[in-house]
Amino acid sequence: MQLTNLSQPSLKTQVRALFIIARKDWKVFWRYPLNAVSHVLQPIIWVTPVYFMGKAFSTNGQALGFAAYTGSGDYMSFILLGTALSNFVTTVFWGMGFALKQDMDSGVLESNWLAPISRLLILVGRTLASLLTTIITSMTMLAIASLLFGFKPTGNVIAAILAVIPMLIGLYGFGFAFAAIVLMMREANTMVDVSSFLVQGLSGANFPIKSLPSWLIPVSLALPVTYGFDAVRGFLLKTNTLLPLHIEIMVIIGTMFLMLWFGAWFFYRTERRIRTLGTLGQH
Amino acid sequence: MQASLFNTSPGKARITSELRSLWAIVRREWIIFTRYPSWIIALFIWPLIFPMMYIFTARALSGPDGSGLDVFIQNTGANEFIGYIIVGTTVWMWQNIVLWDVGFSLRNEQMRGTLESNWLSPAWRFSHLLGPTGPQIVSMGMFIGITALEFGLLFGVRLNGSVWMIVLMMLAAIPAIYGLGFAFASLVITIKEASAFVYLVRGLVMIFCGITFPISLLPEWMQEVAKWLPQTYLIHGMRAAAFSNAGLPELIPDVIPLLLFGAFWLAVGYSTFLWMERRARQTGAIGQY
Repeated sequence: MQLTNLSQPSLKTQVRALFIIARKDWKVFWRYPLNAVSHVLQPIIWVTPVYFMGKAFSTNGQALGFAAYTGSGDYMSFILLGTALSNFVTTVFWGMGFALKQDMDSGVLESNWLAPISRLLILVGRTLASLLTTIITSMTMLAIASLLFGFKPTGNVIAAILAVIPMLIGLYGFGFAFAAIVLMMREANTMVDVSSFLVQGLSGANFPIKSLPSWLIPVSLALPVTYGFDAVRGFLLKTNTLLPLHIEIMVIIGTMFLMLWFGAWFFYRTERRIRTLGTLGQH
Repeated sequence: MQASLFNTSPGKARITSELRSLWAIVRREWIIFTRYPSWIIALFIWPLIFPMMYIFTARALSGPDGSGLDVFIQNTGANEFIGYIIVGTTVWMWQNIVLWDVGFSLRNEQMRGTLESNWLSPAWRFSHLLGPTGPQIVSMGMFIGITALEFGLLFGVRLNGSVWMIVLMMLAAIPAIYGLGFAFASLVITIKEASAFVYLVRGLVMIFCGITFPISLLPEWMQEVAKWLPQTYLIHGMRAAAFSNAGLPELIPDVIPLLLFGAFWLAVGYSTFLWMERRARQTGAIGQY
């Protein structure tokens, strides 16, 4: 007897699957409106102590020490932009790593894995809705924060957005590798929390990396997100950048390809091992 | 043998049996805490990386020549910013961890499906809330000790005060911090999903209590709000005890409000628990999730 496979994967079915995963997450997110409010308010709460701390270091509203590092004494615009960008880092980390753990815990990971679509596509799908919600909540956060603390972008918005795109795509590569580690360790909460906090912190979400202790600067420079944050600030706030802007853009694009390749390679390699061990259904 | 229609319960609550059941809960919580290796990260990594982000921002605000630091010293009266920030962020982390650990202890039992059966045991029900508090206080003591050690070794932060005065401030704060946790735990059982409320409470501490700045920099209305939060007094007192060599007379203005807040929050915590227990029996909410 000859068995034929009922599934006929095509580009159209893959895109449909991606859309369905994203739609499900979109529905779940808006089903809890308090969470959406929390997404907007949390970053504002986190930067409030920095706002007042900045006042403790300022004379007549001017943070001259900060200006010596960045070329701009407007530390709040610098930090608010970093906070908005780091929301996307958080989205990719939690969207991929934690979503897998949630599927493990609720017992649907194994059945999802049997679906005839690319497994990387499942991971991408889990972040699509949250990327969209992050854009909405980050814009709202910036609007509220500009009223409370002042946010004064004076540069080229289009160029800044164009610099964000390759940084985000590169982050997906990072997320694939991270998801592989979650599959292996079967633990996500602490790992996601600590890793995303460290990546955001060391890539200079809240401070110019030049102010880090000298032994930490190489770590920071090794993170591609650092150049993304720096370039966006350079375009939008006209701050001093680590490298000339065109070189930073080349670094971001180069690392985007490198991270995508490495993330996918590491994910498939780990996933094959997990299937061999038969631990996919365990948590 | 004739069976009685009015069997008496075999469980007879005595002080010793109550203490034994409380001890069993404490032991269970300790085993769960140490069973997951992520406790190492919780104890060794978080105390370091959370304050570090504020410390690095403060370094940036100081400037390469340290000119901003002089302004900070003038505004705060502190000699340096690292110790100043560590005290504030550690108090924030303490309240945050209590809200998640103690605040969600009953809810976690409910999610595991064991709360209803535990509730039927003839033990004092408040033990189910007191039990997780014991290991939590021990781990929190370790957390604070490790914070002091790590920043002492890595950043050269040195105490300029009495360890006993710091311990006194912490002891005075325990009733307020855990009383709030008890009230929270009872509410979580009723409203089920309460993460947003944790964010709200810890957000209040973060904004109003001066974790990285003196509250004199806040607008007047915010300073008034800060006076109603016990963490404000804890942070102020701990900074004075740790870095200004403050003795008991100097700390009394912080200790008394802390104890008053403690009495208030413990009373609120216990009353909320009793209210939740009565309501849960009427509505059957204990077994729902």
